[in-house]
Amino acid sequence: MKEGLRQSMAWLHTWTGLLLGWLLFAMFATGTAAYFQDEITRWMQPEVTGRPDPVVAAEGAVRFLQTTAPDAKRWFITPPNSRSATTQVFWQPDGDRPRGSRRDTSATLDGQGRKIEARETRGGTFLYRFHFDLHYLPVIWARYLVGIAAMFMLVAILSGVITHKKIFADFFMLRFGKGQRSWLDAHNVTAVLALPFHLMITFTGLVTLATLYMPWGIAANYASPDSFFDTVFAQSEEVERSGKPVPLAPVGAMMRTASAEWHGAGVGFLSVSNPGDATATVSLTRAPEDAIGSRGPQLTLDGTTGRRLDASVSKGAALETESVMIGLHAGRFAEWGLRWLYFLSGVGGTIMVGSGLVLWTVKRRARLPDPERPHFGFRLVERLNVAAIAGLGAGLATYFLANRLLPLRMEARADWEVHSLFIAWAAVLIWALVRPARRVWIEALALAALLFAAVPFVNALTTPRNLFASFAAGDWLFAAFDAVMLLLAAGFGWAARKAARPRSVRAPRRAPQASDTVAAA
Amino acid sequence: MATKASRSKGAGRWNVAARTLAAIPANYVLTSLAIACLARLLPMRPEEASVAATLFSFALFAVLALIAFAVRSVVRLWLAMVGAGLLLGGGLWLSIVTGGRL
Repeated sequence: MKEGLRQSMAWLHTWTGLLLGWLLFAMFATGTAAYFQDEITRWMQPEVTGRPDPVVAAEGAVRFLQTTAPDAKRWFITPPNSRSATTQVFWQPDGDRPRGSRRDTSATLDGQGRKIEARETRGGTFLYRFHFDLHYLPVIWARYLVGIAAMFMLVAILSGVITHKKIFADFFMLRFGKGQRSWLDAHNVTAVLALPFHLMITFTGLVTLATLYMPWGIAANYASPDSFFDTVFAQSEEVERSGKPVPLAPVGAMMRTASAEWHGAGVGFLSVSNPGDATATVSLTRAPEDAIGSRGPQLTLDGTTGRRLDASVSKGAALETESVMIGLHAGRFAEWGLRWLYFLSGVGGTIMVGSGLVLWTVKRRARLPDPERPHFGFRLVERLNVAAIAGLGAGLATYFLANRLLPLRMEARADWEVHSLFIAWAAVLIWALVRPARRVWIEALALAALLFAAVPFVNALTTPRNLFASFAAGDWLFAAFDAVMLLLAAGFGWAARKAARPRSVRAPRRAPQASDTVAAA
Repeated sequence: MATKASRSKGAGRWNVAARTLAAIPANYVLTSLAIACLARLLPMRPEEASVAATLFSFALFAVLALIAFAVRSVVRLWLAMVGAGLLLGGGLWLSIVTGGRL
């Protein structure tokens, strides 16, 4: 590495970007979708309608839990908010019996506390979890893998900025239909346009799992990590049931007390310890949509009287910073305008990673010794690019189609929706491996476009909530979902058309400039 | 990477391997030691100091990774990293032995 700084950084940018680029593409795409996870879940449960009141819904959830799990150690209630229409409840059974399936100790309820009769689906939550837990492999491995990928991303961003000296001048250059130059421009424009976003989202993403990736800051001061977590998240001590039954005081009044304490902000989460007992306590946490910080303040009340017991102490500067960083990453506080900006920035990031991957092959194709018979590494990257980019698109569209097409009462329906995604993805991968290179981009991109275009039509055939009905009823959520599907179809279709153009329409070769040689390094 | 005619391909490979080892595993050890020292030195409450140091660790790791590929001499890179590691490790050991942990 005797070359200059920019050459070595260009080399580093190329290889950090490529090695985990396919995983990063999937993380960016599903993470972007996860900004609308609640909306996606609502689209995937078209039976659920209405806009329930959170306080009424929480009281309904308590009634449900009083009949379903009266002896539980703890109840956890997530009431609906401005984005979701259902209440999620989860309970921790009494005693130390081995934990059964989560399905036996959780339920989705409507605004009155009745179990909802909607199709079984993991909805947008699956895309959110896949973003950092992946699927079909142990969560802890997935999280380390995702963390390594995020660190590669951070290094790729920094080395990319150093490489690209004329970053802001080139930003205003987007040359269409010029082969390699267009790919380079697309990569630069999406990278620079949202550069602060990319840096922020990558860094804060690492922070969300910081103590997993870098536990040594805690280990330096604490012999056991538990004592650190006890200090930071002051969990109320677990108290044995007294055995004296006392009914729970109304949670509605408790929620109003908490809201008043938080200057009108809503309650996002309730946890009830020892419900129905004289020792019951209720902890309320502020709704995530009312402030950036991911760990809102908590208020603990006596469960039988509603008397205030304890409030979380305000955090120090470092913990507050961490909380805000995680909140910035998850974007739960974002209103509609900002949420769309998050989404668009995420789309930009997805295109940045995808165009970067394609650029690797485009740059090398011209310099191959024999372009008709590329070496193994080149062929592998080329095929994996197709599978990662077009394959994931086809998989996501299939996930939504499966939600509408699988039998409503099917056994393990939610699991099969998820399997459908991976079956479609794997099918594209196999297709990409066996087909001739020239055809495979066109076919895979066209397939993704067709599948996305099919979503609104299948939705119209299988539910009454079609695009026109949604517009007429002012149901912007369903209308926007269908519109985004059509836009994705158009995007993939346009890409397929571009890929179908014969290669001879390449840009006339110019004399190479300094920036070209660096970019080609 | 543009290989210069004067340099054999094998040497380039060793160069990259040595830098990659420095940039990933050695960097992780060095970053861990540095932020562990930082967590003990920062004049804050211990939980605050631990979190502040942890937040800083990702920036430190990323910059050290860039440096590992930017400096000219691989030998000096490794000497500097091993030296810094021994210094930080020794300091951390002393601090924990004398001050203890919570």
